[in-house]
Amino acid sequence: MKINDIPVIETDVLVIGGGTAGPMAAVTAKEQDPGLNVMLLEKANVKRSGAISMGMDGLNNAVVPGHATPEQYVKEITIANDGIVHQPALMAYATRSFPMIEKLDSWGVHFQKDETGDYDMKKVHHLGTYVLPMPEGHNVKKILYRRLRRNRVQIENRYTATRLLKDPDGKIAGMIGVNTRTAEPIIIRAKAVIMATGAAGRLGLPTSGYLFGTYENPANNGDGHAMAYHAGADLANLECFQVNPLLKDYNGPACAYVTGPLGGFTANAFGERFIECDYWSGQMMLEFFKELESGTGPVFLKLDHLAEETIQEIETVLHTNERPTRGRFHEGRDVNYRQRMVEMHISEVGFCSGHSASGVWTDETGATTVPGLYCAGDMASVAHNYMLGAFVYGQICGESAVEFVKSRSEPELDEDFIIRELERIQAPMKRADGIPPEQMEYKVRRLVNDYLQPPKVTKKMEIGLERILAVREDVPQLCARDPHELLRAMEVQSIIDCAEMAARASLYRTESRWGLYHYRVDFPDQDDGEWFYHSRLFKDEDGQMASGKRPIADYLVSLGEEKDAYRKMRVQKAANE
Amino acid sequence: MPIANHHSSVPVIVDEDKCIADKGCTVCIDVCPLDVLWINEETGKAHMKYDECWYCMPCEADCPTDAVTVNIPYLLR
Amino acid sequence: MKTYDDPELQAIAVKLTSEDPGIRRVAVMDLVDSGEPEAVELVIQALNDPDTNVRQEAAKVVDEFEAADMADALIAALSDNDEVVRNSAAHALADLKDPAAAAPLLEALESSTDGFVVSGILRALKPLRNPGSQRPALKRLGDEDPRVRREAVAVIGWLKQPENLPALVETAQHDKDPEVRRAATGALVYASPQQVGQALIALLKDEHWQVRCEAANSIGKLDHQEAVQALMESTRDELWQVREKAVDALGKLGSTDAIPVLGECSKDAMSNLRKAAIGALGTIAHSDGRPFVVTALDDPDPDVRKLARWAISKLDAAA
Ligand SMILES: Cc1cc2nc3c(=O)[nH]c(=O)nc-3n(C[C@H](O)[C@H](O)[C@H](O)COP(=O)(O)OP(=O)(O)OC[C@H]3O[C@@H](n4cnc5c(N)ncnc54)[C@H](O)[C@@H]3O)c2cc1C
Ligand code: SF4
Ligand code: SF4
Repeated sequence: MKINDIPVIETDVLVIGGGTAGPMAAVTAKEQDPGLNVMLLEKANVKRSGAISMGMDGLNNAVVPGHATPEQYVKEITIANDGIVHQPALMAYATRSFPMIEKLDSWGVHFQKDETGDYDMKKVHHLGTYVLPMPEGHNVKKILYRRLRRNRVQIENRYTATRLLKDPDGKIAGMIGVNTRTAEPIIIRAKAVIMATGAAGRLGLPTSGYLFGTYENPANNGDGHAMAYHAGADLANLECFQVNPLLKDYNGPACAYVTGPLGGFTANAFGERFIECDYWSGQMMLEFFKELESGTGPVFLKLDHLAEETIQEIETVLHTNERPTRGRFHEGRDVNYRQRMVEMHISEVGFCSGHSASGVWTDETGATTVPGLYCAGDMASVAHNYMLGAFVYGQICGESAVEFVKSRSEPELDEDFIIRELERIQAPMKRADGIPPEQMEYKVRRLVNDYLQPPKVTKKMEIGLERILAVREDVPQLCARDPHELLRAMEVQSIIDCAEMAARASLYRTESRWGLYHYRVDFPDQDDGEWFYHSRLFKDEDGQMASGKRPIADYLVSLGEEKDAYRKMRVQKAANE
Repeated sequence: MPIANHHSSVPVIVDEDKCIADKGCTVCIDVCPLDVLWINEETGKAHMKYDECWYCMPCEADCPTDAVTVNIPYLLR
Repeated sequence: MKTYDDPELQAIAVKLTSEDPGIRRVAVMDLVDSGEPEAVELVIQALNDPDTNVRQEAAKVVDEFEAADMADALIAALSDNDEVVRNSAAHALADLKDPAAAAPLLEALESSTDGFVVSGILRALKPLRNPGSQRPALKRLGDEDPRVRREAVAVIGWLKQPENLPALVETAQHDKDPEVRRAATGALVYASPQQVGQALIALLKDEHWQVRCEAANSIGKLDHQEAVQALMESTRDELWQVREKAVDALGKLGSTDAIPVLGECSKDAMSNLRKAAIGALGTIAHSDGRPFVVTALDDPDPDVRKLARWAISKLDAAA
């Protein structure tokens, strides 16, 4: 079959995004049924793409028997997210987390073990023990790549997906995309689609002003969020932004998980701890933000009290894994952990369930609200998933998709839709002059910073939304001189979609929740009566962006007294605001 | 709207004497998540074509001849 | 030359016969993208290339393949005259985790003398937990090269056999190299307190602080009750890091005798130590500790205050 002379590629299961969750999903689908055609499509190159391209420092959320129970984990994540979670999805993660560690271990991923070969779990705070370091974790991507080849997953690198395709009856039917080096379009018909395109990381602008100096891998610009939206899937809790502690000007994480067990900590200008909150949460980020802005700010990473051997150990981990240019950055500024504290700041805003809780709505089977479409990793709405969650949900989605394909008839393609999408893709390169994608991107991200970054103010967000919609009006003037600029031109359209979603979702929830993530100055209180719901964002029948509420599913684990203890802590904090 | 060209200093440097792109190597170009490294048509060696770098280092780590150096982009140095 | 059905693999095979080592080297890199199981043969071929750069490249890609398919070639590569090749081969072998690899590894160990190679083989043997590695590992505890002794300790630790404890204790106490002593001290946790308790107590006085920390850790893990007195002394160690670990261990041991010294630590200038002390008092949850915990509720450090609140809840629950 051909559409506009472009051959349609056929596959059973299509995975979009070959970072962390994607390869696991593809391998799982093949393991489940080696007879299926499984294709993995990636914007970059699967060998080194995504958040873990250079490895990872450790697992932040490992539920290992003897150190934590799934119930305990579910309870803590529920509290950290102010109650707005889908507990069945958290529980599915928690119970599968340890088998996944064992699987990765058997594949050759290096986790830290003690001298007798047991997992060397670290306690970062007194609540539960979830951190498993992986100081030699550089090889994760290599191992995934090896598994993909071994299971004969078909890999298509350097294609960016731009839109999902649906059947007349509303089921998923495949996708359309474009090659980032040749600008050739690609049309794929698939019986089930798993998306794992990561966070929406190019939403806010880093303080340095460098468009690509983001916390997230900049290839993760929210394409998946935009595609899911246009395909009619529900997104959830997008107002729960991601904001992370970072080194000032350098996008290296604060590394509490690396330095904490070794005695390092986050301090104010006087070298004192200031964080009251026990959970990695928006509440913690709010304290961080307040300290930054206060007379005892800014905030620092303090290591200068540690022994030489310990500092060397920290340097080895931090300067070789995850963000290995960190050492060069410090050198350039004459910063030595031994001599002075390292200035910190907060990251630009984004959507990412890996660290917070927003994304395309998925249940405990990884299913979205579009039949046959599954989502895993940072773009799916399962809270606090991190790397291990991406792997577990990749696996879950792989299983679910294979199950779905079993009873799925041949998908029908909507040719009109495809032709319109091909026009959208080809338009920027047909224009000789106009607005380059870089300028448009800078503008919309600058607006996000100016108007949407918390603390959020209603009137400002309304102006921001108006300005963002004005940028959208300029899209027909986007121009691209080569296929690479075309990639950026397609990306900026997703960024505009995400910016609009961020504004509308933030305006919809008229309360404050999740600490800094959704801190609305003119609605400062949490309002459980009105807002103990997931917020929904979706395309309505008229093609308009709409909002709504989704009830919270019954808890599997009740919170008991711990919730009250946590409340007390918040009140106490509010008193000295 | 007409478009101007503007200059910017790029963070990634390729040592052309070491680069073996002429023997068929494209490793750094293959691994870059942002697709900003390309073969320089004039020299036949790899170079950074677009100033859009995450300073993440696969290009440097995977280069077989240690020809690549990733610096911190000027704006955040 | 063998021909391959897969056109890409065939193209690589042809390039591997090129006169130009540069082209052979790039061909090796291309092997990584082949999903064909036969690609392994070409990797092995490249591991024996006359050109060092080509062999290095082959060694770098070995860990992209299933090591079991080339265990022999990897073991041979352990004696390559180039260090990069040897190192990669050792790493790939360590990831092998294939029980069948134990026999060839043990054989190679027998005949190897180079410290680098020996430690690589030991590292590869460790996760296999093969009983046959016990005897050679014990022997290597006496090797001159500290890297070898360190890996030998790990092999023995992972085997978890009671009969090896005397040798481990000996190493923990008397090895010249602090990292070897530390590793051996950490490995003692598979014993019972009767078997290694005395040694661990002595190790609390090791000249190197990281060994002292490890000893305190191991005592805590083993719940060695007779070490309370010694741990209490360690809470006055010259380094706060050691004191912190001693305090942690006292908490794990649940020792009420230690409450006064823990109380002292809860007033120390170093906040990390105060944190540990309050944590320990909470774990012990004995009313004698309450006054210290109550004081800590107003500690200037929020982490200490958090732990104090938690400790109060433990004390209340115990009361
Ligand atoms: C700097 C940093 C440090 C972190 N540290 C830790 C840690 O120490 N421990 C921990 O547990 N977690 C950590 N995390 C979180 C963890 O890495 C992520 O949660 C996890 O890797 C997300 O996996 P993913 O598959 O969702 O996304 P990714 O692995 O990022 O993959 C997304 C992929 O989708 C591709 N893609 C995007 N758009 C398209 C498109 N349109 N078409 C085709 N492909 C596309 C991208 O190129 C990318 O390869 C960290 C994250 C970051 C960024
Ligand atoms: S990886 Fe190194 S040798 Fe290969 S093309 Fe890039 S710079 Fe040249
Ligand atoms: S540092 Fe990363 S983004 Fe920059 S050129 Fe190298 S691989 Fe590409």
